[in-house]
Amino acid sequence: MSEIGLGLSLINEASALLPLRAILVLNLLGLLFLLGVLNLVRHGRLYVGYGVIFVAAILGTMITLSVPQLLLGVTHMVGAIFPASALTLLALCFIVLMLLYVLTQLTIVSNRLTVVVQELAIERAKENFANQKTASDNSLDISER
Amino acid sequence: MSPNPRVLIAIPAHNEEASIQRVVDRVRKTLPDFELLVINDGSRDATGTILDNLGVATATHLCNLGYGRAIQTAIKYALKRNHDILVTLDADGQHHPEQVRDLFDESLNGNWDVLIGSRYIKTRNYTKSPFGRRIGMQLFSLLVKLVAGQRIYDTSSGLKVMKRSVFESLAYWHFVDFHAEAIVYLMRLGYRIGEYPITAAEREHGQSMYSILSHLKYPLKTSMMMLLGLIDANLRRRRINNERNRVRP
Repeated sequence: MSEIGLGLSLINEASALLPLRAILVLNLLGLLFLLGVLNLVRHGRLYVGYGVIFVAAILGTMITLSVPQLLLGVTHMVGAIFPASALTLLALCFIVLMLLYVLTQLTIVSNRLTVVVQELAIERAKENFANQKTASDNSLDISER
Repeated sequence: MSPNPRVLIAIPAHNEEASIQRVVDRVRKTLPDFELLVINDGSRDATGTILDNLGVATATHLCNLGYGRAIQTAIKYALKRNHDILVTLDADGQHHPEQVRDLFDESLNGNWDVLIGSRYIKTRNYTKSPFGRRIGMQLFSLLVKLVAGQRIYDTSSGLKVMKRSVFESLAYWHFVDFHAEAIVYLMRLGYRIGEYPITAAEREHGQSMYSILSHLKYPLKTSMMMLLGLIDANLRRRRINNERNRVRP
């Protein structure tokens, strides 16, 4: 192995071993995010299908963070050299939060649309039922006469 | 409840042109004293036209909202029209409407809040089901037992009889398909849920509303809603208890 290759490998292994403090802080953030997502789903503000994807992604990330060998494996696999810088992490958090916000708004609009479609269907069904009843009453009157 | 409860039979239908007429005819013939509502859930085939010709009360969704929302439409309709009991039935002809009367009588005699027409309560095994469904059925049956303390063998049955107090509780709760997640939620709210043996035919026409992708999504969504239903039900019970304590001198 060349000197550069060996150097990069050492950087990789050292960077994969996150300090315990970082693991705890990141896991705490993940836990808060997880609870936030579950709360949104519980209140019907985030569609359960999106919720499942978020929960899987958060749990996957937390597990990867907590197991150094797994993080090292992922770093090797994607060909990364340095660990994600704080700036990248912040940018990623921003993107994920924006995604969550957009999906929440989408869910709210979708819920409103569902209510409109349901109410329209119910009103039409009630009219439908009333018309049928009138028709059957009329036919009953004619037969009685 | 009044001695002659108002009963609504709700049949959610999505692209069921091949079977819907036969199902409606059989329901009308065997259960003439019950009001019938078909929820046409955005069908793109001739289901809507057939229902118009049959002259049956139909709630038509302008787009496909899914099975759970179709059941919710039936619930809202039943609430608005003051029905005491709601019976749900599949539109694919798998359920025999002739069995609904027995199920209905048993729900009244046994004072069940929800009575599920169960394909598996008699044999208590799933050997006749396809492998994928067998695994899913066992998993959710055990999960319900674990979470709510009572085994339900057929969590995904579409044939159910429920009282007004039950569907009032579900009108604005966002259940997935009214399967295991709703059963857990209702059990934790203290409702009595039971199973009654029925036989079901194989689907003759059309295709299941569950695509390959939804076979993957369904267990995840249902499991998540089971967990959230558990939390919701516990919070609701606590709130009710607190209110009761506040009212007491």
